[in-house]
Amino acid sequence: MTITATRLTKRFGDKTAVDGVEFEVGEGEFFVLVGPSGCGKTTTLRMIAGLESIDDGELRMNSVVVNETRPRDRDIAMVFQDYAIFPHLSVRENIAYGLRSRRVATSVIKQKVPEAAATFRIDHLLRRKPRQLSGGERQRVALARALVRDAQAYLYDEPLSNLDAQLRHQAREDILALHQRQRKPTVYVTHDQSEAMSMADRMAVMRGGRIEQVGTPRELYENPVSAFVAFFIGTPSINLFEATLRADADDVWLEAPAFSLRLPPTTASAVAGRVGGPVTVGIRPEDLHPPRQAPFDVGEHNKFTARVELIEPTTAGSTVYLTVPGPEGDLDIAAGFTARLPDRFAGEQVPLAVDLGKVHLFDPVTERSLLLGAGAA
Amino acid sequence: MRIRIADVTKQYVREGSLRTAADEPPALDHISLDIADGETVSVVGPSGCGKSTLLRLVAGLETADSGTVYYDEHDVADVPPQSRGIGMVFQDYALYPTMKGAGNLKYYFDVHRRTEEESRARAKEIADIMGVGFELLLGQQTTTLSGGEQQRVAIARCVVRDPTLFLMDEPIVNLDAKLRESTRMEMAKLLKRYGVTTMFVTHDQQEAVFMGDRIALLRAGRVVQVGSFDELYYSPANLFVASFFGSRPLTVLPATVADRAVHAGEVSWPLPAGLADRLAPGPVRVGVRPEAWRVAGAEPGQGAPMAVDRIESVPAERLTLAHGTVAGARATVVVPAGTTAEGLRLVPDWDAAAFFGADDEVALHTPGPPDFF
Repeated sequence: MTITATRLTKRFGDKTAVDGVEFEVGEGEFFVLVGPSGCGKTTTLRMIAGLESIDDGELRMNSVVVNETRPRDRDIAMVFQDYAIFPHLSVRENIAYGLRSRRVATSVIKQKVPEAAATFRIDHLLRRKPRQLSGGERQRVALARALVRDAQAYLYDEPLSNLDAQLRHQAREDILALHQRQRKPTVYVTHDQSEAMSMADRMAVMRGGRIEQVGTPRELYENPVSAFVAFFIGTPSINLFEATLRADADDVWLEAPAFSLRLPPTTASAVAGRVGGPVTVGIRPEDLHPPRQAPFDVGEHNKFTARVELIEPTTAGSTVYLTVPGPEGDLDIAAGFTARLPDRFAGEQVPLAVDLGKVHLFDPVTERSLLLGAGAA
Repeated sequence: MRIRIADVTKQYVREGSLRTAADEPPALDHISLDIADGETVSVVGPSGCGKSTLLRLVAGLETADSGTVYYDEHDVADVPPQSRGIGMVFQDYALYPTMKGAGNLKYYFDVHRRTEEESRARAKEIADIMGVGFELLLGQQTTTLSGGEQQRVAIARCVVRDPTLFLMDEPIVNLDAKLRESTRMEMAKLLKRYGVTTMFVTHDQQEAVFMGDRIALLRAGRVVQVGSFDELYYSPANLFVASFFGSRPLTVLPATVADRAVHAGEVSWPLPAGLADRLAPGPVRVGVRPEAWRVAGAEPGQGAPMAVDRIESVPAERLTLAHGTVAGARATVVVPAGTTAEGLRLVPDWDAAAFFGADDEVALHTPGPPDFF
């Protein structure tokens, strides 16, 4: 089973909520749609489920067009953010509901419901009503109900956003365990990029009803096609700032208001045609190092100075927030250090070494990457 | 200004309820907490722990059944909230909808008859700290601002009044993740710049660590532990504190200490001498952080086998994680890049493991902060 979306479009009045979205979810693939609120990810999911009509484009399951197929005939199991379990039914009847509505034999139901409940550690709660359960337990009822169905595809709409941090981690592993077992195409919607990065085989970053980029988490992280994707993926966020490209003999330099960086030859040749013009520079926090701990040689060409504003302790070391003075206010910079920067550095100027091989460059107007081939977009 | 909360108890009795006060657990149960002048203390805990009640009590919006709140050395029991000189930001935006952003910022000065220059200068100063684009917000009607924009104006409005105490209750919980990241940075800068004494309530442990000079963890109306991130993370008072902090879960292994070794499920790990001397024989729970495991050698008996569900790579942290089960307990483990699921054997790093009582949650031994240098 595969799910294929071709130029999928949905309009609400004169607003286009989903605008020609295309992707394919392979056999047994865990595919995540991620983006800020209002980007169209939930509407896309609801079109797959059949809960929203499709205005334009095609949705196929295997190779069959299902645009007009009724939701129940698509044989899809869906888990919602608010769990959508029936308050008047016991846990047992909630889990059995989908089977009963499909007229599955009672003997089968009797066997399958406790099995599904045991998978999510709620087999001791089968007689309870939802109001007697915690949020995490209700969520597991919804998961068990999805599991028991043996559906052809699984859809999730922000299933973890109502859980607190400790439960969320466990529920994430539960969902992936269910997926490992079923190996059915799965589409998972979230606004949380770290959840997407952790769970996805492949993911699509959406913005304004369109897909910005599709790829594996690592591809999106290392080779973002746009400044938006670069910024959306990763916490703390990538440092983005404006600079001018300046040629000096055979070298190309990035001239930022308070510092200059020399581009490595491969990067320089990719932007040779833009010398004299502006670029948006992107540097990930973890690509900034204290010079002595940098895994490369540090000189005047790959170093700048910034003032330490705040040191956030992390289990791996520290995230350091710094500022560099600029013409339109201070430039904020975040750096991820693998060591703890001692508190006495707060307010001090410190040197930062830049891993120039990992610098991203974007067109300041179109926001497209200048380092990836045009085909990548 | 220094804030001192001294042995405060607060109990809600539901009106019309047949239950007496003795049946209801108190919302705040003998809480004491000190906030030094200019300090930011984060108050964090699961929902229902009493953190918001505590903030409302410090604000004067609730009264204590017993105990005292001091502003510097003054008992403020008889001072109404509006006379306490506090600035408050809640999770719901509370801007004056008929005014533009700038009007919201200047309102206080208008009411308190300050000069136009003073109000303008102050608003400008705040706008500079609040970063790029903030001044644009000031010209707009508040009803046309997004949630995040409204909250930025609300926070700025609060600072503009020059409060002696800043109280914030989940101020950015309704913002999306990226906006939360930048707004908390703006808030931290404002607090640092003006050195306002602040109590910051949140349910999010990471936000608490980011904002707080110190962090107070509450549970069921009591303060469980107060301290820096390092104290709470590396020297937790009990298992609840240990499990609450950390972006990935702590593994808790039920085990027995006997014969200078830890026996967990099928495996036995000999303990280093110092630790073996310190731990009394008997049942314990061992707390191991994701980053506090070591991959054991191939020789049998060297480590506990891990049943791996999946290997995850985390590019942003340059980490590889193994998720699965070790000695019968769920575990998330930081492993070297390139680690494969088959034959993975693990030993806790005893310099970083914590020991807790088997029946109570009290810490028997904690590692203390690692030496980063």
